[in-house]
Amino acid sequence: MNNSSRPSIPYRRRFPVALVAAALALLGALPAAAQDPDPLSRLDPNSKFAVELLIDSATTLGLPADYLRSTALQGVALKADGKRIVDAVHKKFTLLKTAYATLGPVGGEELKAAASVLYAGAKPAQLAPFKTRQKDRYDLDAFVVWADLITRGVPSEEASSAITKLWQDGANDATFNGLWNSVQSDILKGLNPGAALQSRIRETPGRPTSTKVTPPDGH
Amino acid sequence: MTLDRQGWVIAKDMSDDAADVQRVLAGDVDAYAALVDRYYDRCARFAVRMLGNRDDAEDALQTTFLRAYRALNRYQERDRFSAWLYRILVNQCRSVAARRSHRERIFVREEALLLNAPDRTPNWSGDDEEFVQRVLSELDPLLREAFLLKHIEEMSYEEMSALTGVGVSALKMRVKRACDRLRDRWERIKND
Amino acid sequence: MIDSEQHPYVESIVREARRPVQTDQAARDRIMAAVRAEPLPERHAPHIWARAFQPRSFRLSPAGSALIAAGLVGIGVIAGTFAHNRDVRSQDGPSQMAVVPQSQLPVSDSAVKFVFVAPQAGRVSVVGDFNGWDSTKTPMVRAPHGGVWSVELPLSAGRHLYSFVVDGSWSADPSAPLAPDEGFGHANSVKVVSEGSAL
Repeated sequence: MNNSSRPSIPYRRRFPVALVAAALALLGALPAAAQDPDPLSRLDPNSKFAVELLIDSATTLGLPADYLRSTALQGVALKADGKRIVDAVHKKFTLLKTAYATLGPVGGEELKAAASVLYAGAKPAQLAPFKTRQKDRYDLDAFVVWADLITRGVPSEEASSAITKLWQDGANDATFNGLWNSVQSDILKGLNPGAALQSRIRETPGRPTSTKVTPPDGH
Repeated sequence: MTLDRQGWVIAKDMSDDAADVQRVLAGDVDAYAALVDRYYDRCARFAVRMLGNRDDAEDALQTTFLRAYRALNRYQERDRFSAWLYRILVNQCRSVAARRSHRERIFVREEALLLNAPDRTPNWSGDDEEFVQRVLSELDPLLREAFLLKHIEEMSYEEMSALTGVGVSALKMRVKRACDRLRDRWERIKND
Repeated sequence: MIDSEQHPYVESIVREARRPVQTDQAARDRIMAAVRAEPLPERHAPHIWARAFQPRSFRLSPAGSALIAAGLVGIGVIAGTFAHNRDVRSQDGPSQMAVVPQSQLPVSDSAVKFVFVAPQAGRVSVVGDFNGWDSTKTPMVRAPHGGVWSVELPLSAGRHLYSFVVDGSWSADPSAPLAPDEGFGHANSVKVVSEGSAL
């Protein structure tokens, strides 16, 4: 490109080459929406329609519809058949509704994580204690660890009561993540998941500063 | 007064609506009455056809016009006011429908749709508004919504897409599906 | 077979449904009464950026992804324009959101590093809810020694599901919590990104 007719400093010299290259690559992405067809189009028309209906219903209810869409896309990527994908999306939708009915208006991320806890096998009644919202407390890590424990084989009742108790004792994200780390390493060493949880729970304080687990107050 | 093909009063051009919006924002609240007058009847028709009864429709209309008023400062002149207003209206109708006491039955209906459950087929005398309302109510809500926007409100698919956030091809499928179900109902009536 | 949209029965229903419904002035009066009880909507000047840019949906081309992976995260102004997606629904006017927005691209630029050890693998990529589970979107780069594959990606705050695709097979991250199998026979991993100093 020859800009010798222009009096100003050539544009390229004023910016690092890498940044210009990045800008050009990103500008090249501008018509990407036209280049990339919707991956959901790979579904057969009936399944696609059913999935879109569910996504729209979720949106209408104020539920995180992106979660349902992502489930469908995962199924497409794994080459699952249409019926299986619709069933998976439908199940997710039902659990999102249940989580919402149980917890009330919490943020989308917490709702997804709570739905995952239900998906893993916990009962709505086990989620109910988390409905009492405490200011500045964010339950995402608690739910993630909870779902993981059940998925790895800790009996649902035990996982639920352990997590709930910790939470009611005031445990923070670091505590839940620490618990997860130690239980996981025990399971990798061959320990039975339920037993691993029980032994680690005994060592885990609720509030970060206390040295022993205190009984939950009130309830 | 300028009328469209269906006989609704329309703004002579966009600037009527935009001018009224500007007057309201400048402090002339009564200018909002002009906008309400211009769009109420048309919105009412959509709300009644969509929700199937007057009470719910009026609920949706009240909230729609109130929300539109509160959001007026976010209306931008390059949008058609009717499209902007309809986006609020469509969402309000969905909210009202979702809140209804027989909400679970609507979801069951969606599941029935997925499972292709058969439904009842009323007879039609030919001129009955109540009958048409009943027929429309038997359509799945999302199909009904697309059908009304396309064939009653006569919007283009692009407008519908911008309004609902749903893709054009999904909307076309819904409209077609709605028409298929209406036609199937006619076939069943004929054969009874 | 007639196209159902032109079927005479459908046309009759359309004709009937287009008729106006009865409305009363009292309902409109109630609206105006409610409106008059409201504070006046304030006139806001749109932000300068809102005049310059129209929100639209962007996706990164593979070249763009690779550049971000190579460490050019957070390219200031350009990255900032990716925040909108036309799929956002709203209850009120266009810019108010009542639901969690579906974001294809991050609204924060906290870069998260994904690491997977696979000395024998020929190709590893990460798939997740942030890239539509598309194994071509986020290839990982192999370190010169040790068989360690990695990539850095900007992710929005919240909970993300992901897996690694190792020579075509999906594998969970052994160092991350698991999410239950969603009905496809595979349990994904979970990454929680904290709300940092976004925007």
